[in-house]
Amino acid sequence: MARDLSYLFPEMTLSMAVVFMLLAEMVRMPRLALAFGLVGLALATGLTLPLLDVNTSVFSGTYRIDDLSTWAKLILLPGTAFSLVLARAELAGKDREGSVYSLICLVTLGALMLSGAGDMMLLVLGVVLTGLGSFALVAYPRDDAATEAAMKFLVFGAVTGAVMIYGLTFWFGGAGSTLFSELGNMRGGSLVMVAGLVATIVGLGYKAALVPFHFWAPDAYDGAPISVAAYLSVITKIAAIFAFAQVLRDLPLETGWPLIIALISAVTMTLGYLAALVQTNLVRLLAYSSIAQSGYFLLGIVAVGSNTLALQSVIVFGAAYVAMNLGAFAMVMVVGRSLDDFKGFGRHMPVAGVAMVILLLSLAGIPPLFGFVGKVLLFGAAIDAGFTWLAVIAILNSVLALAVYLRIIVPMYQQPEDGAASVTATKQPLLTLVWVVTAVVTLIMGLAAEVLL
Amino acid sequence: MLPLLSIAVFLPLLGALILMMLPHKTARLAHGISIATTGLTFLVTLAIWARGIEPGGFAQVEEISWIPAIGAAYRLGIDGLSLPLILLTSLLFLLSSIYSARVSERPAVYVVLMLMLETASIGTFAALDALLFYVFFEVSLVSMYFMIIGWGYEDRQRAGLMFFLYTLLGSLPLLLAILGMFLGSDPYTFDMRTWIDTPPLSGLAAMLAMIAMVFTFAVKIPSFPVHTWLPAAHVQAPTVGSVILAGVMLKFGTYGLVRFALQMTPEAFRDAGLVILAFGVFSALYGAFVALAQSDLKKLIAYTSVNHMGYVVIGVAVASLTLDPGLRAVALDGATLQMVSHGLVTGALFFLVGMLQDRAHTRGMDEFGGLLKVVPMLGWAFVISAFASLGLPGLAHFPAEFQIFLATLSIQPWAIVAILAIVVTAGLYLRAISRVFMGETNEKWLKMPDLDRRELMVVVPLLILIVLVGVAPSWLLDMIHTTMAALKF
Repeated sequence: MARDLSYLFPEMTLSMAVVFMLLAEMVRMPRLALAFGLVGLALATGLTLPLLDVNTSVFSGTYRIDDLSTWAKLILLPGTAFSLVLARAELAGKDREGSVYSLICLVTLGALMLSGAGDMMLLVLGVVLTGLGSFALVAYPRDDAATEAAMKFLVFGAVTGAVMIYGLTFWFGGAGSTLFSELGNMRGGSLVMVAGLVATIVGLGYKAALVPFHFWAPDAYDGAPISVAAYLSVITKIAAIFAFAQVLRDLPLETGWPLIIALISAVTMTLGYLAALVQTNLVRLLAYSSIAQSGYFLLGIVAVGSNTLALQSVIVFGAAYVAMNLGAFAMVMVVGRSLDDFKGFGRHMPVAGVAMVILLLSLAGIPPLFGFVGKVLLFGAAIDAGFTWLAVIAILNSVLALAVYLRIIVPMYQQPEDGAASVTATKQPLLTLVWVVTAVVTLIMGLAAEVLL
Repeated sequence: MLPLLSIAVFLPLLGALILMMLPHKTARLAHGISIATTGLTFLVTLAIWARGIEPGGFAQVEEISWIPAIGAAYRLGIDGLSLPLILLTSLLFLLSSIYSARVSERPAVYVVLMLMLETASIGTFAALDALLFYVFFEVSLVSMYFMIIGWGYEDRQRAGLMFFLYTLLGSLPLLLAILGMFLGSDPYTFDMRTWIDTPPLSGLAAMLAMIAMVFTFAVKIPSFPVHTWLPAAHVQAPTVGSVILAGVMLKFGTYGLVRFALQMTPEAFRDAGLVILAFGVFSALYGAFVALAQSDLKKLIAYTSVNHMGYVVIGVAVASLTLDPGLRAVALDGATLQMVSHGLVTGALFFLVGMLQDRAHTRGMDEFGGLLKVVPMLGWAFVISAFASLGLPGLAHFPAEFQIFLATLSIQPWAIVAILAIVVTAGLYLRAISRVFMGETNEKWLKMPDLDRRELMVVVPLLILIVLVGVAPSWLLDMIHTTMAALKF
C-alpha cells in the first residue's frame, strides 16, 4: 500500500491543492486560490519527473503508472496551469472566480485518472469526474447561451455515460474482471466484445468529441468563457484519447477494432474541417478544428496494438496539440471572437501576428513546427499498422486544414478598411505570456522533439 | 574544416534574424542587410564549389544527430546534381536582392521573407535527410505564399491561396512516400544516402511510392496536367517572386525527380519510364503551344517554363530507359544543365519584364512597339535572353537541349517530336520581340528611361553567364558529368 501511494504523489498533491483552493474561495480570496492552484500544479509536475521510465501499476493493476500516464501528467499539468492563467485573464474580479480555478483543477484530476486507467471502474470514475466539473464550468456565465450549452453538454454526457456503463458490464461479464489486462481472456462470443467496444467508443468518443458524438462541442465552447473552451478543447480531449489507448492496447486485434476506429478517424477529420470551413465565429471554428484534430489522434490509436511508434506519436502530438490550441485560443481572447476582428491584426501587431501564424501553420501540420512532427509520427504509426489508406485520407485533409487556417491568416494581412481603428486587440500581460510561451514551444519543439521520444 | 554548407544554408536566416532584432528598420538598412547577406552567401557557395565534389556519392557531408529515435538527422552534402543548383540559387537571390532594393512597401518584412526563402531553397538542394528535405521544401512554400499575397499584383490573394493549396496538396504524397521508404528501411532511417545505395522498397510498394513522388514533383516542375497553378502564381507574384519561383523553386521538382524518384525507386521508374517520357513530350509541346496564345509577357514566359521543364523530364525519362551508362550520362548531363540554363535565362527574362512593367505598369505586348529605339539596352538584353530561351546555338539552352535530344534520338527516337516545340517557341519569341521592340513606336513610351546602374548590375551577370554556358559549357558540365557518369542503378 505504501509503495502504491508513493507512485501517486502527483495526484495527491493536486487533490490537496483543490481542497486548499476551495477553502480560499470560501473566504473570497480568488487570488489565493489561483496561487494554490499554480503551486499545486507546479509541484505535481515536479513530482512526476521521478516517474519517467517507471512502468508499473498500483492498486491491484487498476491504475497504471506507465509512459502514457506519466507523459499525460507532464502534458496536462502545465497545460492546466496555462488554462488557469487564461481564466484569470478573462475572469479577474468577476463573481465566483475562485470556483472556476478549483473546478479546472478538479477536472484535471479526473483527466489524469482517465489517462492512467487500467480498469473499467476507474475509466467510469474518470469520465464522471471530468464530466461533472466541465458542465459547471460551461454554465459559469449564467446567461442563456451558457445555460443552453451546459444543458446540451450535460444531456449528451448523461446519455453517453449511461450507454458506456451499460456496455462495459458486458465486458465485465465476459472477462470476469474489470481489469483491461483481462480483456484478452474474454468468453461469450463476439456480441459481448462488440457491446463493450461500442460502449467505450460512445463514452470516450463523447469526451474526445469524435464524430458522431461531437455535437455538443461547438455549442459548449461558444457558450462557455473562452478560457474554459480552451481548457476543455485540450485537457479533457487528450485525457480521453489517452484512455482510448489504455483500453484498446489490451483488446485483441482479432476483434477488428482498428478498422472501426480508422473509419471514425476518417469521418471525424473530414467532417470537422468541412464544418470549420464555413464558420465565421472563431471559437466555433477552433471547436470544429479541434474535432478534426481528434481524428488525427486516432491515427495513432489504430496502431496501439501493433507498434510502439503509436504511443510515442500520440504523446508527441498530444504535447504539440496542447501548445498550439491553447495559444490559438489565447489569441482569440486577445483579438476577438469574430473573423472580422482579425482583419489587419497582423499589420497592427506584427509580433503577435507572427505568433498566430506559427500556431495556425502548426495546427495545419506545416514543417518544421511541432504539429508537423506529431503528424509525421502519427502517419508513420498508421502506415506501419497497415492503414495506408487512412494516412492518405489524413494527408488529403491536411490540405483542407490549411484552407481552414488560411481563412484566419489571410485577413490578418489585409488592409483594414477604415484605418487601424477596426483592430481592437487587448494587450493583457497574462495573455501575452500564454501566446508567447505556446508559440515559442511550437517553434522550438518542432526541432527538438527528441526529448519526448 | 568549416561547415560551409551549413553556413550557406543558415547565413540568410541569420541575416533575417538580425534584421528582425534591429530597432529602427529603415528601407536602406533592410536592403543593405539583404544585399550583404545574399552576397556573403554567394561567396560561401563559391567556396563550396572550390572545395569540389567527388565522383560517386556525396561530398562535404555534414551530419548532426536530430531525432535518433526515428533515425532522422541533420545531414547535408552535395554532388554534381545539387552543387550547380546551389550556385544558381545563391546567384539568383543575390541579384534579386539587388533588384528589389527599391521596394518601399514594408521592406523589412519583404527582406526577411526573401532571406527565409533562400535558406529553404539552399537547404532543399543540400539536404541528405528525407525529413529535413521535406521541412525545407515546405518552408519555401510558406515564404513564397506570404511574398505573393504581400507584394503581388491585382489578384494576389486568390493566386497565393491557389499556389499554397495546390503545391501543399502536391507535396503531401511525397510525405507518404518518404514514410513508406522509412518504414521499408532496415534499420529505420531517413538517410537519403542509404535509400539511394539500397532502395528500401521493391515491387508494388516501390511503384506506389514512385507514383506519389512523381506526382509531387510534377506539380512542382510543373508538368502537364498539374501545371495550372503556375500561370496564376507567376502573373500575380512580384518580379522577384517570379524569378525565384521559376529560377529556383521549379528546380525543386526536377531535382526531386532525379534525386528521389529516379535514384530511390530506380526499377519502378524504369517500368514507368515510357509513361513519364510521354508526359514530358506532351508537356514540352503543350507549354510551347499555350505560350503561343499569350499576349501577357509574364504568362508567355511562364508557359515557356512548362516547355523547358518538359525537356528536363524527357532527359530524365530516357536516362531511365537505357542500360548504357554512357548514354544515360549524356541524358542526365543535359537535363541537369537544362535546369541551370533555365534558371539563368528565365530569371533574366522575368527581371526584364519586371523592369518593363515598373516603367509602363502593363505587360500586354500589344501596348508596346518600337521600344528597341527608346530603350536599347533593355531591348537588346531581352532579345539575347529570348534567343537563348528558344535554344539558339551559342547560348545557354543549346548545349543542354542538344544533349537531351541526342540521347532521346538513340534511346526512344519517337520522342524527338518534342523538337517541334523549339520551332513554336522560336515563332512566339520572334513575335513578341517584333510586337514589343520593333515596328511603330508607341507615342506613350517615348520618354521611357533605359536601364539604370542597379538594373544593369542585375541583368549583365546573367547575360554573361548565358553566353558563357552557351559557348563553353565544360566548366559546368564537367562537374555535372563527374556525378552522372558514376551513378549506378
